[in-house]
Amino acid sequence: MISQSDPTATAAFCRLYSLLLYAYPREFRREYRAPMEQLFRDRCRDLARAPGPTRLFRFALHVLRDWFNTAARERAAVWSAGRKPARRSFVTEWAGTILIYLFATTTLVQAYVIPTSSMEGSLLVGDHILVDRIAFADPGPLGRHILPYRPIERGDIIAFLYPEDVRETYVKRVIGLPGDRIRLENGQVIRNGRRLIEPYTQHIAPYPDPYRDNFPLSPGPLTTPSGLDMFARHVRNGEVVVPADMLFVLGDNRDDSADSRYWGFVPRTCVVGKPLLVYWSYDAPTDDLEHWSVDHAVDVALHFFAKTRWNRMLLVPRSRLALEAGGAR
Amino acid sequence: MKKTRPPEELLPLTPPVFHILLALAGGELHGYGIMQDVARQTGGALQLGPGTLYGCLKRMLAAHLVEESDERPDPALDDQRRRYYRMTALGKRVVRAEAQRLAGAVTAAMARLAGEIA
Repeated sequence: MISQSDPTATAAFCRLYSLLLYAYPREFRREYRAPMEQLFRDRCRDLARAPGPTRLFRFALHVLRDWFNTAARERAAVWSAGRKPARRSFVTEWAGTILIYLFATTTLVQAYVIPTSSMEGSLLVGDHILVDRIAFADPGPLGRHILPYRPIERGDIIAFLYPEDVRETYVKRVIGLPGDRIRLENGQVIRNGRRLIEPYTQHIAPYPDPYRDNFPLSPGPLTTPSGLDMFARHVRNGEVVVPADMLFVLGDNRDDSADSRYWGFVPRTCVVGKPLLVYWSYDAPTDDLEHWSVDHAVDVALHFFAKTRWNRMLLVPRSRLALEAGGAR
Repeated sequence: MKKTRPPEELLPLTPPVFHILLALAGGELHGYGIMQDVARQTGGALQLGPGTLYGCLKRMLAAHLVEESDERPDPALDDQRRRYYRMTALGKRVVRAEAQRLAGAVTAAMARLAGEIA
């Protein structure tokens, strides 16, 4: 290419340029490959007539810049043409959206609303939360290494299917893992013989309740069938012993929370995931949040800005580790 | 769908498109001919690389500014691989409108800068 007596160099450069042409989209290549190669060959021939190292260098630089810019441009043109809404029908457009939505809401995250005050202090009535479904889902031996999986620990807030009625989802804090011995004394949790100091809890007892505060004594009127089963089979020496593959959970609003004290353990398989963040918090009564009504919709429409708790927006509910004080007995 | 749009809609032209149209004003040319003519017009300032040239021609074909010609005007240089292009009537009107626009811009610039240059 530098001199006319060197046709092999020209041929080599032309072959190299042919390879570079693969950067262009297929349609463009099919249409213009031959004339582009021809033009390149012509330019090489021109250069061979008036050789010079700087000319060669400038030519190479020019061709490379031309190649890079226009290949990117043609690719972008193909890409944006493919994304034109007119090119896809209404149905395919929505099918894609719905598929992504279904995938995301069934495997990645799920939206819930907190209807009761049992976690007050951490989560308020009317907090709309997204639950991370991956965090606690056992992904099997392979996924364990790729997915952000971690085992459930004491102090984690979990969302789970209420064991007595799996149509309902509850959010509570994990107090006992399998093997842990749990009891309550004057409203304070004693786990494995150590008194827990739980700064995240709220005690607003309107009345004393021995069942609630000094658990487990004996089944009460609020104890459900699986709660009775817990009393019958898992109480040893005045303590509940959490069986394998079960969790003992309590609400942070300790004096006003229907939790493991009343309905027993949460099977590990019932755990849905980990509350990820509060995406919207709206001040509304429990009833409106549990059952959708026209009145509630109107209320939201009229008072959206006033009743939205903006300070709770995008709040992340945290796992909190209870401090363990010394021995309780 | 040969809808003739007013030439003003396509203005301003990019420099490569403008100079390619000017090159074709003199008659049909193939790619290499266009490239040489553009370099001559601009005193070597604008060297069209293969990607730029054929990318522009593709868009100009789509806009009906140029069309491919079946005739082989220069049998001596003919080569089956060479494609010849010629300007359409729309292309002629568009390049004329662009030249007028540029002339207007130059006149305005001269009037503004007259004092400074003098």
